[in-house]
Amino acid sequence: MEIERVKGKIMEGQPGFPRQYGPSRSDHQPGIPFFPQETARDFVLIFLLTALLFFLSAFVTPFLGPARSPQISELIVPDWYLLFSWGLLKVADVFPQFVIGAGTPLKTDFNAAFWGDLLSGIPVIFLLILPFIDRGREARPAKSPVRSAFGVAFLLAWIFTASLYSIREVVAQRWQTPNGSPLINDTAMKWFFVIPPVLVGLTSYIGLRRLGYQPMRKWLFPYVAGLTAIVVVQAAGIFLIPGWLGPEVRPYVIQLGIFLLVLIVPMLVASVAVFAVPESQARKWVVRSGVAAFVVFGALVVFFMNSGRPNHVAFTWVLSVLYPNMNTLVLMPMFAMLTAYMGVRRPYSTYEYLLNECYQCGKCHTVCPVTKVEDDALGGLNLVYNTFKKQHDGVPLWTCLACDACSAVCPLDIQYSDYILEERAKVHARMAADGGGKE
Amino acid sequence: MPYADLTRVVLETDQRQVPRSHAEKYELKTIWYWYPLYCLGGISFVAFVILTITGILLGFFYVPDGRLQLDTATSLPTNGAYLSMLVIMNNVPFGFIIRGMHHWSAHVMIAAVFLHMCRVYFTGAYKKPRELNWLLGVILMLVTIMFGYSGYLLPANALSEGAANIGINMTRASPVIGDQLATLLFGDINTLSGVYILRWYWIHVFILPLVGTGLMVLHMALVWLQGVAEPH
Repeated sequence: MEIERVKGKIMEGQPGFPRQYGPSRSDHQPGIPFFPQETARDFVLIFLLTALLFFLSAFVTPFLGPARSPQISELIVPDWYLLFSWGLLKVADVFPQFVIGAGTPLKTDFNAAFWGDLLSGIPVIFLLILPFIDRGREARPAKSPVRSAFGVAFLLAWIFTASLYSIREVVAQRWQTPNGSPLINDTAMKWFFVIPPVLVGLTSYIGLRRLGYQPMRKWLFPYVAGLTAIVVVQAAGIFLIPGWLGPEVRPYVIQLGIFLLVLIVPMLVASVAVFAVPESQARKWVVRSGVAAFVVFGALVVFFMNSGRPNHVAFTWVLSVLYPNMNTLVLMPMFAMLTAYMGVRRPYSTYEYLLNECYQCGKCHTVCPVTKVEDDALGGLNLVYNTFKKQHDGVPLWTCLACDACSAVCPLDIQYSDYILEERAKVHARMAADGGGKE
Repeated sequence: MPYADLTRVVLETDQRQVPRSHAEKYELKTIWYWYPLYCLGGISFVAFVILTITGILLGFFYVPDGRLQLDTATSLPTNGAYLSMLVIMNNVPFGFIIRGMHHWSAHVMIAAVFLHMCRVYFTGAYKKPRELNWLLGVILMLVTIMFGYSGYLLPANALSEGAANIGINMTRASPVIGDQLATLLFGDINTLSGVYILRWYWIHVFILPLVGTGLMVLHMALVWLQGVAEPH
């Protein structure tokens, strides 16, 4: 009865799932036909895209503005895809400016514009040489964490911060302290080129390694504790070094201390947790302290914004300390908590991801002792695919001997019996949660 | 190839007009979570087709004349290109929506090309044996960005003036041949004469489409020959 019900769900013979396998197969047109299946799907996408474009062009008028004139002096912002180059051109004045070969035909002037050209060339050169420096065979993002983390840090975070720097004038004008100076100053925005991409890269690396069930505490502790130390030292400096805080901020030291405490305490908790506490406990500590800090910080912001003018002014001056030090005082606590969570979390639904490397060589089917006595192996084990599809795979959950013969012969080192044992443990946990009785 | 074999190949492939993926070719049953992102290259191509159609239509009415002239009514500086933009937006039937389509398709195309590149990077699809196709793709992305840059020079508005100045200064900053290169690309080493509009019109409607279409055909032909890259 059970087997008929399961066989009814098998995808074999349905579109996209060929009926025959192996060298003896006679239907030589695998896959989904171009017409009408593929064309139907493609036209859905094409019509959706065209509809979106019609909608945009009908309701969002393309910018035209005044005609060009030699004496235009307003702020020029290029289209968004060139902002990164514009930002790099603006930041180029941090580099030394000099002239090589003055007086010769090969005179090269290393001015800000040339540095900007060179900086904009860096991503292009990186992309051009990429396939020749990365020669490994591993393609999956989770299985090559260095490449993936570098991509997130460089292609996404760095390009984003470079684009952000190109509109520094807008940022400086939009957010200001009560006495009219910019909240996020130029130095903080220059540091955006370095600190956020590095934080993003390290966090991605630790999170991706964790996807493969790697114990990441060796990485986590120096990272989280290091960030904590930086933030604590800077917070101490703010209070102890005379002259760091401006005279306008002096009256609001207590409010500033409360905010800094909310940022620092969860970092300290996370540092202790990833260093000394067993993993399942550490996970709880990190999540609880992180969520609590987030809620308390939000509540403090709401309180200071809505409880009268003096509190509102105090909050603005607190921000005038937090914003210029955003890279350390705001981003580092956030990334420390996020990384601590990513590094100790229990990856969910990832085992299928790891199992899914299977390319159906069939070695596991050959060695599996259970398939020799079970007659419902359905023409070859495909443990992974059928497990994912929740279909009967010829080795039912409780028939598997966990002998690990399949893992021993697997060319991709897929640990199938680990998976079976984990699934059995889950069923036991469910039964225990139900009161331990029969299902 | 003998005639009989040719017939067999045609018969076998007449239903298969699209490149086969690795999974299809070797008849694997796989689940790959990134499949939805495999449509980004196609989306950028569809946007390119829309851009070609709307671009041809806009080309009937656009005048690539950037020389400054005084508007008789307001005595403010204006130019032929900008005036033809006003005609397209206000007088040409459907001109407003065709320009809108051209504008937004350009944004969609560049976004799709960038995301497509990210997808290829993160799924490792540039690896051996697809290095050549990756290089073609990088050049195509630069071509797309140049399409975008030349495209917003053409309306000859304030943005065009500012962008042309930045472009001229960046070009002139390159050593030894800076000024010559700027003169070649922009017609002059400043924007006063407005020659840059004609230069970049020619680049926008002839050189870049020629190079871009050729490379796109090669890019897609290589995908067809080598199959869609999947991580196995």
